[in-house]
Amino acid sequence: MKVSTQRRFIRGVSYGILILWSLTLVFPMYWVVITSFKNPVDMSIKATYLPFLDFEPGLHAWRYLFVERLGWFMQPFSNSMIVAFVSSSIALVVGSMAGYALARFDFNGKNNSIVLGFMAQRMFPGALFMLAFLVMFRELRLLDTKTALVIVYAAGAIPFIVWVMRDFFEGLPVEIEESALIDGANRLVVIFRIAMPLAAPGLVAVFVLSLIGAWNEYIVALTLTFRDSITIPLFMGMQVSQTGYTEWWNMSAISLVSVIPVVTAGMALEKYITSGLTFGALKG
Amino acid sequence: MATAQRSVPPARGVLQFSIHDRLWKWLLLLPSLLMTTVLFIAPVVWTLYAAFTDLHLFRVGVETEWVGLYNFQKLLGNSSFWRTARNTVVFMLGVVPMQFLIGMVLAVCLDNVTRGLKLFRTWFLMPLMVSPVVVAFVIGRMLFQEDIGPINSLIRWLGFEGIPWLTHPNWAMFTIMVIDVWQWSSFMILMLMAGLQGVPYDLREAASIDGASFWQTFFRITLPLVLPIAATALLIRIIDAFKVVDIIMVLTGGGPGQATESVTLAIYRAGVKGGDLAFGSSQAYFLLLVMVVFGGAFLALTRRTMSQTKD
Repeated sequence: MKVSTQRRFIRGVSYGILILWSLTLVFPMYWVVITSFKNPVDMSIKATYLPFLDFEPGLHAWRYLFVERLGWFMQPFSNSMIVAFVSSSIALVVGSMAGYALARFDFNGKNNSIVLGFMAQRMFPGALFMLAFLVMFRELRLLDTKTALVIVYAAGAIPFIVWVMRDFFEGLPVEIEESALIDGANRLVVIFRIAMPLAAPGLVAVFVLSLIGAWNEYIVALTLTFRDSITIPLFMGMQVSQTGYTEWWNMSAISLVSVIPVVTAGMALEKYITSGLTFGALKG
Repeated sequence: MATAQRSVPPARGVLQFSIHDRLWKWLLLLPSLLMTTVLFIAPVVWTLYAAFTDLHLFRVGVETEWVGLYNFQKLLGNSSFWRTARNTVVFMLGVVPMQFLIGMVLAVCLDNVTRGLKLFRTWFLMPLMVSPVVVAFVIGRMLFQEDIGPINSLIRWLGFEGIPWLTHPNWAMFTIMVIDVWQWSSFMILMLMAGLQGVPYDLREAASIDGASFWQTFFRITLPLVLPIAATALLIRIIDAFKVVDIIMVLTGGGPGQATESVTLAIYRAGVKGGDLAFGSSQAYFLLLVMVVFGGAFLALTRRTMSQTKD
């Protein structure tokens, strides 16, 4: 009797805290949504909170973004799309191949050390690469190109993909691959027709995570690109420092357009993403 | 007996069927090795070299000279560099424990509920997907806006003075910390949640039937068992916190004055904007050193705590 009342109390408090934190996470989102529908007059004197009640929502920010200045916004948007998809795809193919090799072959007993070597790269501060990248891509005449970003982001995502996919492949039963090999199947066929499809959940998780990473990356893009190849975060960073007060509604609309695709994808694939994020820690 | 029979294939299901496989394994691994060598090891080595020279981005055609420890001497005697180092450590010490606390409380709460669990978990993932630039803009520039932002409006409505969130040095650092906590607490929640799921429910059930209170169960049973994952999560966040740069750059640009400038921002300023590759590189290595020291101290501490709790 006493135990159950205590438990009910704990559950009540838990829900209270969970709802409080959910609201903390919702509020900035709510604010950016309503701001994108505000008119300049709604933000000139005091804060306004509720559409229709204390301000009249308007579509001018959205019209500005999608009608008047579409080209201005579409360039960084498509840059981000291309860079994120191409770099993640390359990293996925290259990284999962290595993950497979480290799961299924013996590298003189050094498999764990090789994986650790990959992971160690994630610990180093980006500042250690930034200047070298700048000089390197200047020498290659690749500054302000999407190619430079694709190369850097792909290489940056590989260690994580190797780490997660190696564990994932190890978790798959060897027998299927074995029997296929005995039946005379080519190793490549075994990898791409048998192992990869079985590892699909892991592949989805690491692909989406590298996609999000590339989509949101800021400092390397800032170092390597400046005009033609700027990505969305860079474009927004420029707008924030340039406009200051005046164009909050436009910035809000841009924020939403840039955030909604990744957040929707991430939340739809919640199960995979969570397992991808926590995988390393659970194993280690 | 069974183990003796199965001793041929090694533990991890390693398969090698033919001589071709020896080729295959290297073909599969090589692209990854190559890419990470060119884009990781080469830059790290180059940066180390640059730190001992007078390399400059905008000076072309002049012999680069070896200057020994000059850049490091310049670094140690540079008060503005120490300021950025201090800012970075303060930032890390501010955000990581806060994220851990929030993460722990919310992970325990999630563990206590069943209805709506999936909904909460999915929603808590959201901040991790959002670009730090957007978070910095929305929270820092809009919610914490000093004149007509909703938070200062609320504070004024309650009858207090509005707070100079971005224009006062200490408040600016605080605001940046709030943004980081908002974004990354979710990571702690997810990790600790995964840790709690590994603690057998029976164990806690048994403890509470034996009359242990909620807090006793938490501190005596749950916490020691999630400690390994908690340590990993903390280490990852400590490392990430030392790298902070994007939210600061967007929000304050390091200001007011130098109050919020992080080491990485200083490196960007010196090396990319100023072109002083040598000085920037020496700062980067100093940052690495600070991270290794803090990371090592943290690991030693957790190892000691874990061996104590085992007894």
